[in-house]
Amino acid sequence: MTLPFTHVDWAAVAPLEVLAATGLLVLLFDLIWRPFAPRGISLSVALLGTILTAVLVAQQYGTNVAAFNGGYVVGNFSVLFGEVVLLGTLGALALMGRGGSDRESAGTIALLLWSACGALLLAAAATTMTIFLGIELLSLALYCLCGLADRKSAREAALKYLLLSSTASAVLLFGMALLFGASGSVSLAALATPAMATNPLFWMGSGFFLVGIAFKLSLVPFHAWAPDVYEGAPLPIAAFMTVVTKAATIAIFARFAYAALPAGASQMLLLPIWVVAGISMIVGNVGMLAQHDLKRLLGYSGIAQVGYILAALAGTTRLGLRYAFFYLVVYAVMNLGAFAVAAVLSSGDAEEGTQLQSYRGLGARRPLLAAAMTFFLLALAGLPPTAGFLGKILILAAAAGSGYLWLAALLLVGTAISLYAYAKIILAMYRPDHRVHGAETLRGAPLPWVSLALCLVATVALTFYPLLPSGLLPLVK
Amino acid sequence: MLLALVLLPIVAGSVMLLLRGEDRRLYRGIGVVVALATLVLAFAARSEDWSAPWLRAPFVANFHLGIGALAFWLIVLLALCTACAVLAVDSARPRALVGQLLLLEGTMLGLFISRDLLLFALFYDLMLVPVFFVLLERGEHPRDAWRYIIYNFAGGLLLLFATAAFGVLHGTTDVIGSAGNAISGTWAPWIFWGFAIAFLVKTPAFPLHTWMPNTYASLPPPVAAVVGAVQSKAGLYGFFVIAMTLMPQEIARYSTALIVLGTISLLYGAVAALVQSDAKRVVAYSSLSHLGLIVIAIATQQPLALAGAALYIVAHGLFTAALFIGLGYVEEREETRSLARLRGIGASNPRLAGALTIAGLAMLGLPGLAGFVGELVIITGIVQSGNIAVAIVAVISVVLASAYVLRLFQGIVNGPVAHDLPVRRDLTWREGIAIAPLLLALLYLGVNPHAVLASGSVAIPRAPQSSSAGVTMP
Repeated sequence: MTLPFTHVDWAAVAPLEVLAATGLLVLLFDLIWRPFAPRGISLSVALLGTILTAVLVAQQYGTNVAAFNGGYVVGNFSVLFGEVVLLGTLGALALMGRGGSDRESAGTIALLLWSACGALLLAAAATTMTIFLGIELLSLALYCLCGLADRKSAREAALKYLLLSSTASAVLLFGMALLFGASGSVSLAALATPAMATNPLFWMGSGFFLVGIAFKLSLVPFHAWAPDVYEGAPLPIAAFMTVVTKAATIAIFARFAYAALPAGASQMLLLPIWVVAGISMIVGNVGMLAQHDLKRLLGYSGIAQVGYILAALAGTTRLGLRYAFFYLVVYAVMNLGAFAVAAVLSSGDAEEGTQLQSYRGLGARRPLLAAAMTFFLLALAGLPPTAGFLGKILILAAAAGSGYLWLAALLLVGTAISLYAYAKIILAMYRPDHRVHGAETLRGAPLPWVSLALCLVATVALTFYPLLPSGLLPLVK
Repeated sequence: MLLALVLLPIVAGSVMLLLRGEDRRLYRGIGVVVALATLVLAFAARSEDWSAPWLRAPFVANFHLGIGALAFWLIVLLALCTACAVLAVDSARPRALVGQLLLLEGTMLGLFISRDLLLFALFYDLMLVPVFFVLLERGEHPRDAWRYIIYNFAGGLLLLFATAAFGVLHGTTDVIGSAGNAISGTWAPWIFWGFAIAFLVKTPAFPLHTWMPNTYASLPPPVAAVVGAVQSKAGLYGFFVIAMTLMPQEIARYSTALIVLGTISLLYGAVAALVQSDAKRVVAYSSLSHLGLIVIAIATQQPLALAGAALYIVAHGLFTAALFIGLGYVEEREETRSLARLRGIGASNPRLAGALTIAGLAMLGLPGLAGFVGELVIITGIVQSGNIAVAIVAVISVVLASAYVLRLFQGIVNGPVAHDLPVRRDLTWREGIAIAPLLLALLYLGVNPHAVLASGSVAIPRAPQSSSAGVTMP
């Protein structure tokens, strides 16, 4: 019997293997350690494994391999999005020091790593089969993780996520089936032929596919699940979902938009997505105004930020993809930074740091922490000297350059609204009449502080040394 | 050295915000030293040019710093105002206030020495943050902070969009202070109005001014002095170095609209100043009126009017800062700013009354002080450009200015001593030194305006004459 795949194929997925094996290793330690592995051990193994994976992924930069008959395409695109996924995973792991029971910690960490495997697979997936495999791997672990916290809203979140995400998967799968019917191939590249532009199956299939993607990206009108799920999910899981799920889904969307559409049909087919992205900027930012929970607020913020990222892709220009990637990185660091602040403020399952109430008077009690939070909030709003500012101007330039002025205009309106929501938290932290007396006894675990500091440095550094990778295309070999 | 000029106050201010303790003398001392050091650095780095690459796509942008002719005077004004404002700080919690003042100075210095539009936009947004925090922590009401930040951030976003569009269209944003970068075409009007609206919000001009009276009234006097004197000039400076040089056709085409807005600001500000009961609001509305005059001068594109505008920008900064600091002293002593309650300061505090009088006379345009020269040259320029009706309105506003300034001083300085208000001692040495340099500068520029006048006209390239400018005076 001969194996259908050569060692080249297996070498291409080496990072995935390492990441998955790390998850197994964490579980194995938990099994042999009596009574169960301490959280520190599991976390260290997971962090080391993730960093090793990141190194392996980075080594693939500059190579171009289409493994598994074109199902898994390694290239600069997959490397860069893979690194964002791993960045998000590291950021989420750093917040796992508290909350949940110690007994469950190893299992949680293993599930998180496997979920990251799915996201990593998506960054390189180039056929509808691998895309579906990646999405299910990413989501299945998250269904469990969402329900881990010991509160009612967690169970609600898990169920809601399960039902809605499965519905989205079904729609996506239906779209994929139709696309297969149209082209007779699961490969995305096979769709980019002129004949497809007149094939009704292709149009229907693409439509369903994009609806599924919009669901996963929580774009309006498919956004309602996101804030609810983030609110219920444990803090690190919410951080993971806001960054990793978004990065992976944007990777698929970008690949589909850039590589799988016939030249004539692309702009018309994608127009609804740009419209939806524009509406998301407004709805997400307006939705933030009434929130009292940081996770919900960041959930709505994420809806709007995805809108910004998609605005950079509008017109599917080469430069636009670079800016979308840049803003994705920026969004990842500032978002993880804000979550890290919340983690420092939380003592455990209660997650006090997610209640906006607990930010009252923070400026007087914990000046450094309040300054960091202010910084991340201003970054999310797009004020200088943060990379959020530079990211916004690059997106504006991309949207204006490709003729989508109305998207640029919506971005400006959305940003102006968002400042109010972010500044409301700043106001609560610094306004003298919001001062709460009493000493702060909480001592932070070191990991969230490290994550916070790194995010802070990255947010400033990216302004002055913008990371704009040039070799993202081609996406499909 | 240019880089040090920007970074010195920003670093000093940030460090100060992170420190602990509230030693008033120490922080005031450091603040004054830093502000004076920036003044020295500005003179030393006057002819320097520094650049480092930033972006290569979608347009070229550099960290390009350099000091233009008008920018130089604004920097001198800024450093002077900051030094005086820091010296005038008399809060129980001075550390954060001095720190924010230095941050404000650093960000505005960055704005004035930016030679790149993107860098300009960065500092334009950045300079909002220190003021926002001062309003949050020390403002009279949170809504003042809201109004300030939302209005100005919205303006900043338009600026950002105009910058991005300009960059995409022109290929580079490294254009401030260098010739040959004018743009034209179908996009130019949009870009022009993006910049213009942002600048009109910042200046402010009618109808985008509604954030301004609240902000000025709510800010602590030293910060109000710097914001009212210098931050309001960021928009006008933008008109000079961006709108006029990069979009000369557009500014000529829309000059009527700008003149109308400027004229409404001029009259509306003067009339509103006449009926305010809060002393700080009188100064705030007078600022609307005076800056409206500068907007008109810019819109006419008449070289004489522009030279006058450059001088009046500096003069207005000097007397506004002096007045806010002086009114701050009054408020500290009498614990009210209400014109209905204040009277008779002159009897108990003659030095304070004298300082206020000099600043006020400069504001109403008394010959011999800087305000007069600026107004005279601007109005002459407006007449030369053929807008006789506008010139007449401007003269009327000067009369109104006399009315509201004298009303302010009748109210505060003259009259019998108010027995229901506390009587405190006159200006101390420190307080006197904090206001004296501004008054001396007003006097100096009043008798020797050529220093600034000349630099203003040199910095201004000739724009294509609009067809309406037909009349020339002998």
